Amino acid sequence: MKNISRRQFLSYIGAVGGSSALLKTGLAMGMMNEDSYSGPVKIAPPSAKNKPSVLILGSGIAGLATAFELEQAGYNCTILEASFRAGGRNLTVRNGDKIDEMGNTQICNFDKEENMFFNCGPARIPGHHRRILHYCKALNVPLQVKANSSKMSYFQDDQFLGGKPKRIIEYHTDARGLMSELLWKSADSSTFDQMLNEEDVEKLMSFSKTFGDLTENGKYIGSERAGSTTDRMLEHPQPHAPLELKAMLDSRFWYGGLLGAELYDWCEPLMEPIGGMDSVVKAFLRNLKKQPVLNAQVKKIYNREKGVEVTYEQGGKFHTVQADYCFNGIPAYFMAGIENNFTSTYQDGLNSIKRGHLFKIAYQMKERFWEKDGIYGGISYSADPINQIWYPSHDINAKKGVLLGAYTWDPEASAMFESLSPAERLKVGAISGEKIHPGYSKYIENGISIPWARMNHQMGCGMRMNEEDFEKYFHMLQKPEGRHIMIGDQISHHSGWQEGALASSEQALQQLNTLLSASVDQGGKIHVS
Amino acid sequence: MLVKFSLIIGLLLCISNTVIAKEAITPKGLEYCTVCHGNQVKGNPNIGAPRLTKLQPWYLNRQLKNFRDGIRGSHPEDKTGGEMMNMVSQLSEQEIENIVEWIASTESLKPTNSITADAHAGKQLYQTCAACHGAEGHGNKLLGAPNLTGLNDWYVLTQLNHFRTGVRGSESDDTYGQQMKAASVVITSEEDAANLAAYIAQLK
Repeated sequence: MKNISRRQFLSYIGAVGGSSALLKTGLAMGMMNEDSYSGPVKIAPPSAKNKPSVLILGSGIAGLATAFELEQAGYNCTILEASFRAGGRNLTVRNGDKIDEMGNTQICNFDKEENMFFNCGPARIPGHHRRILHYCKALNVPLQVKANSSKMSYFQDDQFLGGKPKRIIEYHTDARGLMSELLWKSADSSTFDQMLNEEDVEKLMSFSKTFGDLTENGKYIGSERAGSTTDRMLEHPQPHAPLELKAMLDSRFWYGGLLGAELYDWCEPLMEPIGGMDSVVKAFLRNLKKQPVLNAQVKKIYNREKGVEVTYEQGGKFHTVQADYCFNGIPAYFMAGIENNFTSTYQDGLNSIKRGHLFKIAYQMKERFWEKDGIYGGISYSADPINQIWYPSHDINAKKGVLLGAYTWDPEASAMFESLSPAERLKVGAISGEKIHPGYSKYIENGISIPWARMNHQMGCGMRMNEEDFEKYFHMLQKPEGRHIMIGDQISHHSGWQEGALASSEQALQQLNTLLSASVDQGGKIHVS
Repeated sequence: MLVKFSLIIGLLLCISNTVIAKEAITPKGLEYCTVCHGNQVKGNPNIGAPRLTKLQPWYLNRQLKNFRDGIRGSHPEDKTGGEMMNMVSQLSEQEIENIVEWIASTESLKPTNSITADAHAGKQLYQTCAACHGAEGHGNKLLGAPNLTGLNDWYVLTQLNHFRTGVRGSESDDTYGQQMKAASVVITSEEDAANLAAYIAQLK
């Protein structure tokens, strides 16, 4: 912007494009904030002689971010982690990694290659998850676009088209065509006369014709938009025979996968850290002065007059630690098994958070057979318990690939998988995969399964409260109980997402600021007995 | 005076520390148990994992073997029983003995009551139970009847309903479970079960 001030530039744009152009340009130049996020909470700095100590329970994303922000602000933090590893449900597995399922320990046997990994927990980041994107940028976690949908992938349902898989682009095109035909007919039969004048009705009919690719007289007879049954390069395109309206309505795709790429959290493009989601965990650990204490299972949490006292067990010993403040990311449903002196209402609130039953399978495939079928990422949807198949969009054209072979949050489907042995789960997943990709099983070299409700120290993912409990307890759980504050995606409207965990950490740190401004009794050291 | 004072302080410290001093260290590899059953296996209703402290070793031994051998927990409606089966399916006799020994050494407080029901009405129903479990509910090893005092009331309620509906005690190898299933005919409703559980929770 040579020889022209920002204000001059804006008034020029305003004159040309009117005030809406001014608004949009202003947003683009960062002068007006479109959303409320403006970076992490600024924590009140500790005074030189009164340096409050902080205990953080759990090294999931919320715990790590809380510790990072507090350390940056000059606080002394100790993270206690019950598991042998940091990261919580941000878990990426590779060759030799242990999957700590209760009663079914699995070891990942993927080839020892950089591209052979699986994100067992979070796996995608939409562009509006500003908090996680902030940390990826600030802590140098390189991202790449992750294809979360592919119109070339399939929908398969035993009760639809005799179980034959249907390409999603064909389903989408036909659904649009069939709906448009109905709209055309309704417009033609003067349904909208009360609402629209004659000219509007004509526009509506042209709209439906264009939207659904209808014939001149409003019929949907299939569309080239969904490809061709002939070689489109050398021959005249021949559309696929369209779906029958009744078959489409009877199929189970339209209330599931049809909206897979339409919802806000899945709106494209999504992103993933290069090399695995645990890059986020590694980045936090790299930037923490004090690493989490691992294998430290918390047994007691007591609010004391001037702080919080926590007892944990590690290496065959009980350790009692005291700190001025405590941030607790332990799944709330475990708290009834941990001694504490919380009020009964607070404990009732914690009890109201229930376990979620997300389940995933991953297979190492000896060939990327899906690429030969035109699929380079995205998701196929199945009406079977596996629900979804995800194709990797990283390392295209590599020899092998890790494919997600099941992802369900339907409690019944998850319960079925949970009750099976790891080997049986892989077989069940293979049978369903075979229906979409004939020959699927013969590509499987090995696999793993992650039943989150059976994972040690988590016992759930996608925690949930019923509506009544939410009204009653959620805001209470966002507030401190003494000097103890709950964190984690469980204390957000967005359970199961890292962004929810980070939002909870952010609001907990705001609560800390309030406590700090009100409190003078601090400055104790963390002492271990 | 000063001596006396510090003695008292010392005593107080001892008392406040006794709880910790008596608490059992979790043996290596058994941390899994406390994830669900809680500190000192005090129980956690959110997971459906009952308090185990105070259950007799012979009873714990039998139940662990039952879970391991599919005699208990295999009914499709027994969700937590199924979860428990996964945990013990690979255990050897020796491992089971070690677990039982550790559980016997745990210290946890008697659970507080969580269900509201008519304990007085429950007392009438308990007459049948007393034949095996004893008037005080302390159990009878000869008859294979475990101690009922110190169990969580919600757990007793769940199990009464499981026996009553055949979710527990239907396996032919579950001799004692079958006896309980037969005895539970005196419980004719959900309300009965709750009243009985409330009464059992009152036993010292």
